[in-house]
Amino acid sequence: MPLTRRRFLRNMSMTSAAIRVGLPPLAAMFNMNGTAYAATAKTAQAIPSRFLFWFNGNGIPERYWIPRAFGTDYELTPCLAPLESLKNDIHVISGIDNPNARVTAPGNTHHKSMSALVSGTPYTGRGAGGASIDQVIAGAMGGESRFRSLQVGVCQESHGENIHRNLSWAGYDRALPPEMIPQNLFDRLFGVRDQSWVGRKKSVLDAVREDLGDLQPSLGQADRHRLDEHLTSVRELERAIASLPSDYGKNVKEPEDVADLTDYPRIAKIQSDLVVHAMASGQTRVASYMLTKCQSLVRLPWLGYTRLRHHDYTHTNAESPEGQRTMRDICRWHVEEFAYLLAKMKSVQEGDGTLLDHSCVVFAHEHAEANPHKDNGLALIVAGHAGGLKTGMHSKMRHTIGDLYLTIAEEVFKLPLEKGFPTAEKKISGIV
Amino acid sequence: MKSSATSTHCGLVLLGVAAIGFYGVSAVRVAGQTPAISFTRTVYPIFEAAQCRGCHADDGVASGTRLHFPDAHAGPDEIDAFGITLAALVNRTEPSRSLLILKPTNRERHTGGVRIQPGSYEEEALANWVQYLSALPESAVAAARDRLASAATASASTQLLRRLTHSQYNNTVRDLLGDYSRPADRFPPEDFVNGFKNQVRTQGMPPLLAEAYGAAAEKLALNAFRAGDVNGLVPCKAASARDAKCRDQFVQTFGLRAFRRPLTDAEVRRYSTLFGTQAGKTGQFLDGARIVVEAMLQSPKFLFHAEGSRLRADGASASAEATARLAEAREPSGERRRSASQARVDLDYEIASRLSYFLWDTMPDRRLFEAAANGELRSPDGIERVARAILAQPPARQAVDEFFAQWLRFDRVLGSVKDRRHYPEFTPELAAMMVQETRMLLDNLVWTDGNFMEAFTADYSFLNSDLANLYGVPAPPGEFELVRFPAAAHRAGLLGHGSFLASNAGPVETSPTARGIFIREQLLCQHVPNPPPGVNTQVPEPTAERPLARRQRMQAHVENPTCASCHRLMDPIGFGLENYDAVGKWRDQEVIEFDVPGPRGRPTTKTVSLPIDGKGEIAGLTNSAFSEPRSIGRLLADSRSCQECVVRQVFRFAFGRVETPADREAVKSVSAAFRESGFKFKELLIALVRAPQFLEGTTQ
Repeated sequence: MPLTRRRFLRNMSMTSAAIRVGLPPLAAMFNMNGTAYAATAKTAQAIPSRFLFWFNGNGIPERYWIPRAFGTDYELTPCLAPLESLKNDIHVISGIDNPNARVTAPGNTHHKSMSALVSGTPYTGRGAGGASIDQVIAGAMGGESRFRSLQVGVCQESHGENIHRNLSWAGYDRALPPEMIPQNLFDRLFGVRDQSWVGRKKSVLDAVREDLGDLQPSLGQADRHRLDEHLTSVRELERAIASLPSDYGKNVKEPEDVADLTDYPRIAKIQSDLVVHAMASGQTRVASYMLTKCQSLVRLPWLGYTRLRHHDYTHTNAESPEGQRTMRDICRWHVEEFAYLLAKMKSVQEGDGTLLDHSCVVFAHEHAEANPHKDNGLALIVAGHAGGLKTGMHSKMRHTIGDLYLTIAEEVFKLPLEKGFPTAEKKISGIV
Repeated sequence: MKSSATSTHCGLVLLGVAAIGFYGVSAVRVAGQTPAISFTRTVYPIFEAAQCRGCHADDGVASGTRLHFPDAHAGPDEIDAFGITLAALVNRTEPSRSLLILKPTNRERHTGGVRIQPGSYEEEALANWVQYLSALPESAVAAARDRLASAATASASTQLLRRLTHSQYNNTVRDLLGDYSRPADRFPPEDFVNGFKNQVRTQGMPPLLAEAYGAAAEKLALNAFRAGDVNGLVPCKAASARDAKCRDQFVQTFGLRAFRRPLTDAEVRRYSTLFGTQAGKTGQFLDGARIVVEAMLQSPKFLFHAEGSRLRADGASASAEATARLAEAREPSGERRRSASQARVDLDYEIASRLSYFLWDTMPDRRLFEAAANGELRSPDGIERVARAILAQPPARQAVDEFFAQWLRFDRVLGSVKDRRHYPEFTPELAAMMVQETRMLLDNLVWTDGNFMEAFTADYSFLNSDLANLYGVPAPPGEFELVRFPAAAHRAGLLGHGSFLASNAGPVETSPTARGIFIREQLLCQHVPNPPPGVNTQVPEPTAERPLARRQRMQAHVENPTCASCHRLMDPIGFGLENYDAVGKWRDQEVIEFDVPGPRGRPTTKTVSLPIDGKGEIAGLTNSAFSEPRSIGRLLADSRSCQECVVRQVFRFAFGRVETPADREAVKSVSAAFRESGFKFKELLIALVRAPQFLEGTTQ
């Protein structure tokens, strides 16, 4: 039985007292050899590579974001400054085009850019037109981890449409919503269960599965497809139940209650901690992290910006020095939270290296310059060292977003994509 | 990539034209049915390049015209048939005088402006197609129309299962288990699609949601029996943990309410086994009941309800009786075998669920189950009788309220931000009051059987002192009481409400475009094409060099032909509302601010007041020029497009999808009934549940 949600609910609306994030020092989670649980569990096997897809809504102020120089000898810009200590773990890539953002389709430029950014396919008028890169990689990877992939999110405010709120897509119009609430995420990953719970849950799911079987033959194709999706979800639940992590979870403490559900800098860090724990404990190899929503309407009081919401700022006096500085501060905050995650990954020892050494992390925005909704010349960060990623440099690459994803899937993860990736024409040299 | 596509496209056109030149018109005339030019390969791409579909779609700005392009994903057959149906726009005696030529070239005034250049190859190709159509026999055109309609029907209606919305889930577990904890509030939030949160096309079942259903079911089942059977879910007194009779009775009675129909024998066996095993393990009868509740709450039979009989998914005859017969004829033997009468019973219960989720936003109650059991829901008249009884019950308000909240997007005003220096009065509380005002006006019209189109013209509203203050009208003595506007109040209907005016405005300035789009899309059901890629959509800020009112600063929208073709459909509507500021206060002058060099070179802010030009127009509506914001409400209330749009919005909410050409007749007849009733909203709902779509599912 989950013990965690109860307390969370009880205290949710209470005081705004200081919140302590009660995670133990990471060292406590590893065995005496200093190797991770995941690694010791399968001592004979090589440490697997992990993929994480990180997203921030709206575009950037290019002049404060994109480094001027190329190659290894470049200076971090004001937005990228929080990555100073991780400079050798990242590759800043600019000049990437997102061509399917420009296809004539219903929807505004945010909708269209988002669909094309995550999946390479045009916006359907309702959602993304195909599977997002994290799902393509998770699908090609297969494997036995407890969760095929995880989706987490932090800031909630948006215009509320499907394409705004979801980063991961299983396929055409099939959103995979992120878990936004730290206590729920903790509960999924490390909630305390006992053997009788597992037994009961299994027999419940057996009944559900039989009910699904009753309906299948009598339905039309579209509905059958939906019930197939339900069945897949039930199977994934069964897998999650069948393979509880027996040791690791005991050492991860439940995060303290977050009294203020808009205290996003704090929530972002808790979510990062939990994602890192999930990856380190072998519960998943693929995750997506949506810091803010597409066309984000988040308010940013912790930065001192209380007058407007993020998207409003991108179009209000946006070209003025003051407007540019505002966006600089907002985009630097995105990078700060990203740097926190990378540092956390780097602090986890795995074999002779760290979790970051075995990961590939992609950081993206839906637009380049925010105000004109620019969809070519995107600037991204590829971080980590999985598959021999080149780092410590800034490169301009005249390639499509599909080229980048194809390169990552095939060169970093050694997963041949039979059908390629939408908008991909050729792989990029200089990534690994 | 782009340029090569264009050149290929030109090449095709040239080929087509050349062919006509050589074999030309005479070949067409003689053969009668062999076009010398390919519609699919030549003419259709010209229309696509001219972006005709942007407006001429079923939900486009030009949906009121006779030209409706098929879906963007239409197959070649459908496109081919569409090309022939264009004969309706051809003048047979004088082909060169055909609308199909005159409109896109703007030789006859076209709201969308020049889409095809006069004298271009494109026009020539189009002229050749028109020539071909002018010689086509009417029978061929009629056949194409049928083909087009059946293509649309086939693509529209294969989805029949609807997942409970979060609000329906909360209401259902409340009514099923007496649990008021609203568990769905913590599910992954629902997203807007087609303007609503209940659209079938994107109601998936991702793992996170399945897990949330699992966790909620576990907790709900635990709470249901934590203090014994406090809600009376077990209809009998169990003699022991192994009391099989009481066990089966529980499975049947609870199962009927959870699945909203009687269980099959196989289902009773399945859940009784689950019950028995668990109760046997712990020695507690209620532990068995608990696990059954937990499992049923995760079953697709609980989480989904059927829109249209499950047995009709392959397009069987529309009649329910025929359906039942058909089911019997092809049903395989074995576990799932069902008799014809069983299929009829299933359909009865499905209709009961459909009625209750549409009109109550929750599961059927005892009375409605009885109506299903007694076969009261087998005809439009029977359904109407039951629907009227349903509408008389209090839960009907929660369903109608939910529709209004999504249609008018109240969430947007609740989340909207205003600049505190300019609008210190705009607080989250005030935003909530604005929503309350609009809800009360609409609810009042619905539940007192008023003329619903008065929503746009009402010279009264329900106000408290804060809102009265904002609107500059006398405050009522109490909270949210009816206030009649004085003649000088310049305010009428919901287009004078803060909920509309503030949510469709920026933090400082108004947005005539956003207000225009809202009226086009929500109130006229016309989808406005989105701006072309790469366009900077920002309206210039006022400066010392250009100290202009917003209306003047938006001139670029009219001067640049790319912008003008769409913006003339939106901006002039919003211009007519410029007398309302960004929070909905009346103003006679627009105050603009800009920086000028001040002492010691430091910029200082200068403020200028400019008179407001409040003239507006709803392009496409006849005699729609207006100079006073109250007239726009009157124009909408009197417009067939707006009246029909109310019906279409309810249709989308009711069926979880956008209407298709196959639904046109139903929308028309519901609209007629709505009009004949004097625009009573309840009569709209009744007409809709009488529609064949409701009785038979989504196909005709």
